[in-house]
Amino acid sequence: MEILSIAWAFFKVGIVSFGGGWSIVGLIKHEVVPRWLDDEGFRSLVAIAQSTPGPIALNAATLVGWERGGILGALLATGSVLAFPVLAVASAGFIASRLAARGRGLDQGALDEALRTATLAMMLMTLWTLRPASLDPLVLGLALASFALAAFTKLSPLWAILGAGAAKAAWDLLAGL
Amino acid sequence: MPILGEDSGRPAAGQEARAALPREPSPGELFRVFFGISAVTVGGGYAMVPVIGRALEKRRWLDEDEFYRLFARAQSFPGPNAFTIALVAGGRLAGTRGAAAAAAGVVLPPFGALLLVGAALGRFGQLAPVRSFLAGAGATVPGLVAAMIWKIARKRSWTAARAAATLGLAAALALLPGLTLPVFLGAATILYLAERRWKS
Repeated sequence: MEILSIAWAFFKVGIVSFGGGWSIVGLIKHEVVPRWLDDEGFRSLVAIAQSTPGPIALNAATLVGWERGGILGALLATGSVLAFPVLAVASAGFIASRLAARGRGLDQGALDEALRTATLAMMLMTLWTLRPASLDPLVLGLALASFALAAFTKLSPLWAILGAGAAKAAWDLLAGL
Repeated sequence: MPILGEDSGRPAAGQEARAALPREPSPGELFRVFFGISAVTVGGGYAMVPVIGRALEKRRWLDEDEFYRLFARAQSFPGPNAFTIALVAGGRLAGTRGAAAAAAGVVLPPFGALLLVGAALGRFGQLAPVRSFLAGAGATVPGLVAAMIWKIARKRSWTAARAAATLGLAAALALLPGLTLPVFLGAATILYLAERRWKS
C-alpha cells in the first residue's frame, strides 16, 4: 500500500518538524527520494511549495501525496504531517500539569535554546542534502544569486524562484534554437 | 476546556487585562481571519506569523506582547509555525473549537491551491519550457536554505558550546540519514538538560 507508506513517512516527518519550514525539507527528501520522486523533481516541488501560499512543509507533503495518490494521497499526506503536532499541542497542558505536580516545571528558556540549536542543525543537514547536484554554471549561478537576494535584500524569495525559472526557461529555449 | 490547560502559565493579571478587550472571537471569525491570511501570504510561517500578529492585534483580540508570548510557546511544538500559532492562539481565544477553526483556516487555502498546481503540473508538466522553468526554480533551493540559515545564525546568541553542538548534530544528521528521528529527539533532550544546567 503505497498510500499508507506515504502517510507513515509524513507522520514521522511531523514528529521532528520543530521550527517548521526548511528544517525538515532534508528529512522529507530522505523519505521520498528516490522512492517516489527523483532528485530534480523534488527540488522543483520544493520551489513550488515555497512559492505557493502556506507553510512549505505542509505544501511539500500535499504535493508529494498528490503526485503519488491523487486527492486521497494529498489528504493523507497533509493529515499525517499534522497529526503529531496536533497531539503535542493537545496534550501539552496535561503534560505540563503532571510535571508541575512532581515539582519539575518545564524550563521554557532552556527548551527554546535547545530547539534553536537542534533546528539550525536540521537546516544545515537540509542544506547538505540539497547542495547543488550538478556543476552546471547556470544552476550554480542561480543558487548563488538566490542566496544573495534572500540573505541581503528585503525582496521576497518568490522573486528569486520566479526569476530563476524564467532565466532557465529562456536559456534552454535559446540553446535549442 | 481550552486546548492548553488553565495552568499554562498565564498570570492572573493577564486575565484582568483581557477583560478590557472588546470581546472574544467566535470560531467562525477565527476561521475567516486565518483563512484570509493563509490564502494570500506566500513564503510560509516566517512570512505569516507577523501578519497573523498584526491581524489579531488590530481586532484587539490579543495585544502584541501576549501574541509573541503565545508564539514563543507555539514554537516549542513540532509543526509549521503558522499552524502551531493557529492552534495555540485559537485555543487561547476560543477553546478547542477555536483552535480547530483557526488551524483549518491555515490549512485549507494552500491545500486547495496545491491541488490546482498539482493538476496543472499533471497537465503541462512534461512540456519542455515548463520543465526548464521548474528546473530553474529548483536550482534556487540550496540558495534559499543557505539564506535562511544565514539569517538565523546571525541573530543567534552564540556560545562555543552551542556552536559545537550545532555543527556536531548537523554532521550526525547528515551521516545517519536513516536515524533522523532518534538522533534529533535524543540530541534535543540532551541539549535541553545541558541548557538548563548551564543556566543554573
